[in-house]
Amino acid sequence: MPAKVPLSEINIALPWRLPVPEILWFDAKLRVWLSAQEKPAPLAIVISGTGNDGNTKTISVLRAALYGAGYHVLTVPSPTFPGFIVSTSSTGVAGDLMQDGHDLYAAMQEIIANLPRKVRITDIDVLGYSLGGANAAVVKSIDATEGKLKIHRVVMINPPVSLFSSVGRLDRLFAASIGPGDQAVELLYRRLYAQIANLYRASDRLELDNNFLLGAGAATLKTDAEFSAAIALAYRLQLVDMFFIGDLYAKTGVAVDPEHPPKVSDSLEAIERDLRAKPFADYFTRVFAPYYLGRRPDATSASLIAANRLDIIADALRSDGDYYAQTNSNDLILNKRELAWLQVTLGSRIVVYDHGGHLGEIGERRQLADMLDMLAGRWPRNTQ
Amino acid sequence: MVVMGVVLLTLSGCASQMVSIRTVPDQTPAADNAAAAASAAAFAEAEAAESANQSSTEVQGQETAPQLTPADAPPMYTYDPWERFNRFAYRFNARFDEAIFLPAANIYRRAPHPVRDGAHNFFGNIAEIDSVINYTLQWRLKYGLRSIERFAINSTIGIGGLIDVATKLKLPGTPTGFATTLAKWGMHPGPYLVIPLLGPSTLRDGVGFLADYGAEYGINIFGLYRGGLSWGLGTINAVDQRANIDFRYHSSGSPFEYETIRFLYVRKRLIEDAGLHPKDRPKQLPADAPAGK
Repeated sequence: MPAKVPLSEINIALPWRLPVPEILWFDAKLRVWLSAQEKPAPLAIVISGTGNDGNTKTISVLRAALYGAGYHVLTVPSPTFPGFIVSTSSTGVAGDLMQDGHDLYAAMQEIIANLPRKVRITDIDVLGYSLGGANAAVVKSIDATEGKLKIHRVVMINPPVSLFSSVGRLDRLFAASIGPGDQAVELLYRRLYAQIANLYRASDRLELDNNFLLGAGAATLKTDAEFSAAIALAYRLQLVDMFFIGDLYAKTGVAVDPEHPPKVSDSLEAIERDLRAKPFADYFTRVFAPYYLGRRPDATSASLIAANRLDIIADALRSDGDYYAQTNSNDLILNKRELAWLQVTLGSRIVVYDHGGHLGEIGERRQLADMLDMLAGRWPRNTQ
Repeated sequence: MVVMGVVLLTLSGCASQMVSIRTVPDQTPAADNAAAAASAAAFAEAEAAESANQSSTEVQGQETAPQLTPADAPPMYTYDPWERFNRFAYRFNARFDEAIFLPAANIYRRAPHPVRDGAHNFFGNIAEIDSVINYTLQWRLKYGLRSIERFAINSTIGIGGLIDVATKLKLPGTPTGFATTLAKWGMHPGPYLVIPLLGPSTLRDGVGFLADYGAEYGINIFGLYRGGLSWGLGTINAVDQRANIDFRYHSSGSPFEYETIRFLYVRKRLIEDAGLHPKDRPKQLPADAPAGK
């Protein structure tokens, strides 16, 4: 790992952006981060995980490793990040693999065209973790047809195979660990509050800082059930943002009155509470499906779900030697069948670690070394 | 005049650009890893001490601090009678931050480390006076004494406060202010308040902040709070503080950020208040009173 990684923040207004609703004024520009090498070098574009911006702790770890290995690094948010949906999505309704892929691809071209001339790019690779991994693969498949960026290799880190079945799993996790409705969220919050307050009172500390909160949170979530509850809640809170924005743009009237959208001075508390109790299945049936069925004459709900599987690029994954993947055998967003499908489709171009869960191996020496070897064409090692 | 010019320049510059590229502080992977490991170790140590403490006092038959239960947690809804003003202030702060404060903090961060550390230490040293006053008012004389020691050491050996010698001598800085004093005296936080330019707070803490400034102005240490120089120093102090805070308005991109920050801030304050009265039973509020009332 390098001692220092230079960083620039790029804010870009994209020409195809839809009109920005007043209450989302702060999301008008796409924000990405660039770490540029002094000399000509290949560019690694890293796509963030579900609901995340382009500068998370996880992506920072990947950025440092890639920069240390000599790449320029461009980190971008997930197409499910609210900032992306408003500034970059051509529909405002996030979650469609192909549509999000097209929007990402267009944004990448625009960003690269606007980089300072001193950033000299010799090659382009794309990586992504979690949903970002699936996005990365779809972007390369689009590039294979359109050829604007000539993307070389792709590494998917802990990707899902079927978006909706992974998300369905999270919904069931939420229902099982937290329970239906907002009552259950409140119970979990109360438990956490009491625990943190007690720990704080017993400690000698004078200030409640981030480190204490993280430590207290980790100490509180001791059992598997509590940990799962926290994960499920985290994903649900991200869904709330996506649901709200999709409903606003699609004018489906679930949480927001399309004729009278909230003004910037209005309280959104009631809307948030309402949406917190709704699972992804609701987003699909009440916002996503109505929107896309209205625009794709031959589509059905079933075909929309099928279109959100990596199957749609199965041929490319199988025959094109430039797609790679890393995942863990106990990653909770994959079931056994999906993991087997990845292994059969990618052959020697996938490595499966035996522990880590979802994203748990990222940053480990082995994962970083394998990732860099895959990107450099040194994989699998024993045939070199 | 110069300030107005700078303001107009930055505001106009921002409005016309489709693409802006801004250098931000370097990522420091090794330092981040070390910091994370250190804080995890420190927390583990504190946790071990806490459980050792509890078991030893149980053995001695002393009463341990009453434990909060989930029922003692404030409800999910937060008391915000000044919501319209607060939302306006939050928006104003966000725009001010992006247009002026953050660019200034970024420029400031490009100054060499010793210069920035010197400035930070200098302002921290001046603030020790206020800490001494308030620790005394809170009757936490141990910390008040430490603040006096810090001020003495850093002002002399630390050359007017530029070098933080005291921390190296195992006297870490723990600043406090009138807000905590009022809390210790039992004053309730009062309604959520977003202070223009400063950010989320409560009425009590806002009053506390004004009192801190008033005290520092009144004492006028080293004569720094009067005259033209005081404006320049005040600006650098503000920029220095902003550069050290790891918060950015709307970085979550979420339409519900105002609600989320309000939720977290008020509860954090309530937990800190609970910590200031470790031996008390938590007050039993009516079940429907929103947090902060």
